[in-house]
Amino acid sequence: MARYAMTIDLSLCVGCAACAVACKMENEVPPGVFRLWIRERELGVFPDLTVEFRPEQCLHCQNPPCVPVCPTGASYQREDGLVLVDPKKCIACGACVAACPYEARYLHPGGYVDKCTFCAHRLEQGKLPACVETCPTRCRAFGDLDDPESPVVKALEEAGRVDVLRPELGTRPKLYYLNAPSKRGLTRESEVRHD
Amino acid sequence: MTEFYGLPNAGEFWHWTNALHFILVGLAGGMAFLAALLHLKGHGEARRYTLLALLLIALDLLVLWAESPARFRFTHIWLFLSFHPQSPIWWGSWGLALSFLTGGLLYLGKGPRKPLTWGLFLFSLVALGYPGMALAVNLNRPLWNALLAGAFPFTALGLALALATLLGSPWARAPLRMALGAALFLALLYPLTLSQEPGATSWRRQASPSSSWFSWDSGLSVRSASPPGRGLWRQLA
Ligand code: SF4
Ligand code: SF4
Repeated sequence: MARYAMTIDLSLCVGCAACAVACKMENEVPPGVFRLWIRERELGVFPDLTVEFRPEQCLHCQNPPCVPVCPTGASYQREDGLVLVDPKKCIACGACVAACPYEARYLHPGGYVDKCTFCAHRLEQGKLPACVETCPTRCRAFGDLDDPESPVVKALEEAGRVDVLRPELGTRPKLYYLNAPSKRGLTRESEVRHD
Repeated sequence: MTEFYGLPNAGEFWHWTNALHFILVGLAGGMAFLAALLHLKGHGEARRYTLLALLLIALDLLVLWAESPARFRFTHIWLFLSFHPQSPIWWGSWGLALSFLTGGLLYLGKGPRKPLTWGLFLFSLVALGYPGMALAVNLNRPLWNALLAGAFPFTALGLALALATLLGSPWARAPLRMALGAALFLALLYPLTLSQEPGATSWRRQASPSSSWFSWDSGLSVRSASPPGRGLWRQLA
């Protein structure tokens, strides 16, 4: 069984939001809520400035805190590692929204909670997630973590630096950020001057 | 406005009705607990307080239903058709439903009195305990720590006892002082239990890097494999 993961090379991301637009269109995400968004951070003081564009979304954690708190089983983890929501079982109680440390979930106007699915419907058709296919700088890679030939493993092997968000929580995200522009890795809250 | 930048989903779910539910569910659970104790003691006011508990549970469920974005989807049936003991809300749903059922039977005088009374006692404890648990399980929220799981039942009981005092029941005064004392004690402890960063205790537990390229940024949110070399990223996977 595959173990799907994604990488985003931050040294290539220009913050154009094409991935976010593609996600909105592919998944018919309503106005005002997002499965995917971009965090833009400026670091340092002139002339020593760095900008980090960091696309964020559900990280399909291997140890997802959003799943056990769900009282109906609407939030679940598939064998291939995808964390999904079954709208037919969701009571919109918000327990998973509170449990997700990454603000990855939102309330769909249809009365259920929704989030990134790694485009599970496209994977079934043998296609890549819409954000991966759309990215003009090819900064995203997707594939099976257990397949040494998959693009995601190749990207991880070639990266100069690999980071995950908030590893101290033990969620074991499967979205990896590669080559963060700051020497210290992903931008920390204390370093942010503008958001 | 559509905004792709920032942290757009944060806070979108939370409204004042959440606070109202916490107050109502505390009152309802506390009142059901008092009613059970009064039944156990054979107190003359047991029936009156059972009715009050039933009304408060019904009011809380009405508020929950009215504010639920899924109110006309009837998916709530899954709360009772599935088994999810890791979820505090699953426990709470059963606790409130069974408190209502046992309380209702006691009020109507139907069914075996003693088992129903003990049932109400146990289910009201679940109803009293689950809101604090529902907050405390979210280790990623810096203000919602395990102390809340202990503080909530005391404040809820304090609320119910305060209402009983206002309703002219003299037996409520002494336990009200005790419940408020316990809640105040926990409230004073609360600031001492807060960590500066969410999950700070868990990173300390894990922060024993064996390889030198593993850097921890003094309790902040980043672990890095740098330089990774072949296969070192697997330590993050
Ligand atoms: S990022 Fe949030 S929603 Fe996604 S799997 Fe992790 S905890 Fe769940
Ligand atoms: S909002 Fe839906 S998916 Fe999330 S915990 Fe509640 S029932 Fe489960």
